[in-house]
Amino acid sequence: MRPPVTGGRGGGGFRGGRDGGGRGFGGGRSFGGGRSGDRGRSGPRGRGRGAPRGRGGPPRGGMKGGSKVIVEPHRHAGVFIAKGKEDALVTKNLVPGEAVYNEKRISVQNEDGTKVEYRVWNPFRSKLAAAILGGVDNIWIKPGAKVLYLGAASGTTVSHVSDLVGPEGCVYAVEFSHRSGRDLVNMAKKRTNVIPIIEDARHPAKYRMLVGMVDVIFSDVAQPDQARILALNASFFLKTGGHFVISIKANCIDSTVAAEAVFQSEVKKLQQEQFKPAEQVTLEPFERDHACVVGGYRMPKKQKTPAS
Amino acid sequence: MAETKQPLIGLKWEPKLPGLSLDLKTGSTRSKTAESSKSELVDGLCLPPNDPRKINKMIRKQLKDTTGSNWFDMPAPTMTPELKRDLQLLKLRTVMDPALHYKKSVSRSKLAEKYFQIGTVIEPAEEFYGRLTKKNRKATLADELVSDPKTALYRKRKVREIEEKSRAVTNKKWNKKGNQSKNTKPRRN
Repeated sequence: MRPPVTGGRGGGGFRGGRDGGGRGFGGGRSFGGGRSGDRGRSGPRGRGRGAPRGRGGPPRGGMKGGSKVIVEPHRHAGVFIAKGKEDALVTKNLVPGEAVYNEKRISVQNEDGTKVEYRVWNPFRSKLAAAILGGVDNIWIKPGAKVLYLGAASGTTVSHVSDLVGPEGCVYAVEFSHRSGRDLVNMAKKRTNVIPIIEDARHPAKYRMLVGMVDVIFSDVAQPDQARILALNASFFLKTGGHFVISIKANCIDSTVAAEAVFQSEVKKLQQEQFKPAEQVTLEPFERDHACVVGGYRMPKKQKTPAS
Repeated sequence: MAETKQPLIGLKWEPKLPGLSLDLKTGSTRSKTAESSKSELVDGLCLPPNDPRKINKMIRKQLKDTTGSNWFDMPAPTMTPELKRDLQLLKLRTVMDPALHYKKSVSRSKLAEKYFQIGTVIEPAEEFYGRLTKKNRKATLADELVSDPKTALYRKRKVREIEEKSRAVTNKKWNKKGNQSKNTKPRRN
């Protein structure tokens, strides 16, 4: 009997495009999946999030269900790579046996009999995964870290960040949309290290009693004033010497100017707000006209050692 | 009056250790072995060494070999011939399929060489019909690759090409056939 599969709505509204579209692993490339132009559209062309691809035929990729893969550590702490006929970025599942957004999982049986599970992290659906594959030097999100996530949406990337920081860490996920927030809260019920906050990131004073000091802020709000939003939240919650990761969508800030110019202006804004951008990577194969900027906040000045 | 032996009151326990006997009157130990045993045994009991370096060494031996907390203590597997073969296959997978191109996996740390796990992909519900059947599922990566019909065809073709290339080139005189050979008489019309 065929399992019941229902087609989703696709992403809703302004930022929902990320969660829709028929993009998956496979295709010719190592982190395959073709780019679909109608991401997240629920009309006749868009497939929505969970719509079936039609009966029969193998999945486009080489990572079919039941195939064997080798899981090994990635250079970023807490992240792993699954190597088989295709490569995939994976995180260790905090809640084994549970998939968050119908992603593939990898089950491992250890020699001592314990079972471990990993979840495949799709770079076409997560900007943080795209940044990692883009070759960012350090994401600063590691096991045990406390993270403030602005623009959490339905919690697809948040779930992977939750896996990444582990049970010792903590993720404060801020999302203003109540519709997306519902999915976020449901996900947080199963993951004890995720604290969902359904509030506007423009007013951090409203949730100041819920959030402690954090090591890293990840911002994915896609708003024209996102640099100001990040600075405001950093002044409240980011510790001195902490770090930030911000995803910039050029079209959201100024669609009339070239993407590179937009990124440059955003970096300048960040520098004025006591941020020290260390690196900038483009998310090009996975997202068009997007960049990810990583850096530090109120970094202590290096002491000059007196020459003896 | 001769001095009578007073019975010893208290516990009369003597450790059964090789080369050691306890003098009950004096309470001192007489060692038959060298001085080295004295340094390690205190009152007939084996205590851990005082040297912190030695203690750390002992602890390290007891601990499992893992990646550490940064990768959630991923254990290092015991190497078997099958595992070695799988790892070798993974290194040489670029030649397995002409359509796939891989990044050179030059990891900064040598973690990947030592620590890894072999897992099975669990497909989501929407890919129910695209999964491998029980018949096609194999225990190792190598077996999977051997049983894959696409790769088998490509492999056979490549082997045939290599064989044809490396086949010894015979003397051209021996390859002459029909009218070109010396022995055959020209036919009359």
